[in-house]
Amino acid sequence: MGFRYRISLFFFLFLFFLVIGRLFYWQVVRASELQSLAEAQYGRQINLPATRGEIKTADGFAIVANKLSYLVFLNPKELKDKKELSDALAPIIDTESASISAKILPDRYWVPIKSHINNDSKDKIEALKFPGIGFQEEATRFYPEASIAAKLLGFVGKDDNGSEKGYFGLEGYYDRQLRGKDGLATIIHDAAGHPILSKLSDSTGKTDGRSLILNIDRSIQFMLDNTLKDGIEQYGAKGGTAAIMDPKTGAILAMSSFPTFDPRHFEVYSDDLYRNAFINDTYEPGSTFKPLVMAAAIDSNLVKPDTKCPICAGPVSIGGYEIETWNKKYNANESMTDVIMHSDNTGMVYVSQKLGLDRMVSYLDKFGVQDLTGIDLQGEVSPNVRQKENWYPIDLATASFGQGITVTPIELLTAFSAIANNGKRMEPHIVSKIITADGKNIDIQPKVLSNPVSERAAKITTEMMVNAVDSGEAKFFKPKGYRIAGKTGTAQIPVAGHYDATKTIASFIGFAPADDPRFLMLVIFDQPTSSIYGAETAAPTFFKVAKNILMYYGIPPSE
Amino acid sequence: MKRPRLLISLILLVILALSIVRITIENSISTAGTELLKLQANVEVYKKSNAILQEKYLEDSSLTKIASSAADKGFVPAKNQVYLSTPLPLALKQ
Repeated sequence: MGFRYRISLFFFLFLFFLVIGRLFYWQVVRASELQSLAEAQYGRQINLPATRGEIKTADGFAIVANKLSYLVFLNPKELKDKKELSDALAPIIDTESASISAKILPDRYWVPIKSHINNDSKDKIEALKFPGIGFQEEATRFYPEASIAAKLLGFVGKDDNGSEKGYFGLEGYYDRQLRGKDGLATIIHDAAGHPILSKLSDSTGKTDGRSLILNIDRSIQFMLDNTLKDGIEQYGAKGGTAAIMDPKTGAILAMSSFPTFDPRHFEVYSDDLYRNAFINDTYEPGSTFKPLVMAAAIDSNLVKPDTKCPICAGPVSIGGYEIETWNKKYNANESMTDVIMHSDNTGMVYVSQKLGLDRMVSYLDKFGVQDLTGIDLQGEVSPNVRQKENWYPIDLATASFGQGITVTPIELLTAFSAIANNGKRMEPHIVSKIITADGKNIDIQPKVLSNPVSERAAKITTEMMVNAVDSGEAKFFKPKGYRIAGKTGTAQIPVAGHYDATKTIASFIGFAPADDPRFLMLVIFDQPTSSIYGAETAAPTFFKVAKNILMYYGIPPSE
Repeated sequence: MKRPRLLISLILLVILALSIVRITIENSISTAGTELLKLQANVEVYKKSNAILQEKYLEDSSLTKIASSAADKGFVPAKNQVYLSTPLPLALKQ
């Protein structure tokens, strides 16, 4: 082999390895950096928001759906006259011309102008034929039933990063399920910055949100909303709240609170209106609490329906306080059934004395009083638990007739599910099923929270409540022929350390049909003015709704 | 010398046949991209009109709207309901 041949060979080999080395440097060592640079030259990453899941009532109707809307964007590089465009867009998208103008920065390729515009506005903008304007599809929350069940549903606002986020009610509680996962796509543009929209990457990692199927019955919700609203007007109340539950499963069939807000324009309402009184507000339940205490005494075999009250002939003195009946009428030696029927405070003091503090506290705990129920709504509160050592004899006495003790309406409703459901207290649930983006169903099963009383005690208490409806103050409003168990409540409101005699929380709790309950309902009016009594305000509203539900379910009268 | 000539002829024939097949297939699918784009555009149109129709369907079938339309047409809520009880068998009648 000649010398020249060797030199040539080494020379070419050297060149070959030089090229290999250089290629390795560009394609391996600096690969990611160069890839980013190249991507920045021809494309830009955009966020593809996941479609938020729908919320459907038990009949499959989308009570919260998504409406097609658009984000208007602009490529300022293509724009000729900024002012002309801003003036033309302003009336269509309902934004001031100066605000639009301020957004248009000439060094950008893509500027968002306004999101959530409807199809009509989009058509109007397209008709203007301005160069550089484009549209990106979005979804806006749509409420076909307007503000019905608004406090139950919540609303969708923005978080600190400007992303959509659910607040309050179901939107808040199930936000992570509903929102899904946004995707990323590369939008390609040419050298002049014109986007080539058709070339979007297919693999974006986007997962649409899950949909919720509720236990809420749309017809019952509609009835409850309208009847409660009418009741507030009729009785001159400051507000009202009510809910209906299937006591056998804990399924919430309807829940309403007024005053309310319109979720389509939630931003114009005061923050106070977002709160759902049924789970967020505490109150003294008054006489609606009596059946729970009576059930506890019956369960402990301390009293029977015909047990006579030996202290009911007049006011009862405890710890320097005098406890009277609501109407100052006294029934000496009345039975326990009559104590519930007359809603007699002195009779309940007798029951509390029989129970004693330890048993009282233990039963309240088993009924879930002053405890969270676990309802699937954002913001449930629970009153502060009073420790056993902080109970005085007067507290025991007043708690027996629902004063001096606070609960949330959902706590009381859940506690009564034990009376209506053979002693089993059920966990309240709004959602019955979650449907994933790929169509899989996740069922939410009913859950027993506790067994505070026996089936026998629950049945006896039910009979006492049936008697209270048939012979009590609200008997004239009861639908004829039905056996309905219920109890009125008129609780005075504590104001600055004393009870205001003119301001009350009027309520009624009950279930029907008493022998095989299909629904359990609690109706509360805040400070009614036409009458301060539950029997004259909440009870008529309760029976009006109850009658409609019985007709809706096709349940014939049994008597 | 006969065998190689035959082989070469066969190879040329196969090349020709495959070329014809390729030209035919390419000719038939050359417009598929355009067709696909048209189909994609149609899908978008249908998706959009479906969304608009769903919105209208939900609006029109909402109880709020139905109740309002019913009230306008003079319908009133039923005050009472009649339940027909099951008659007793003839043999039990007295």
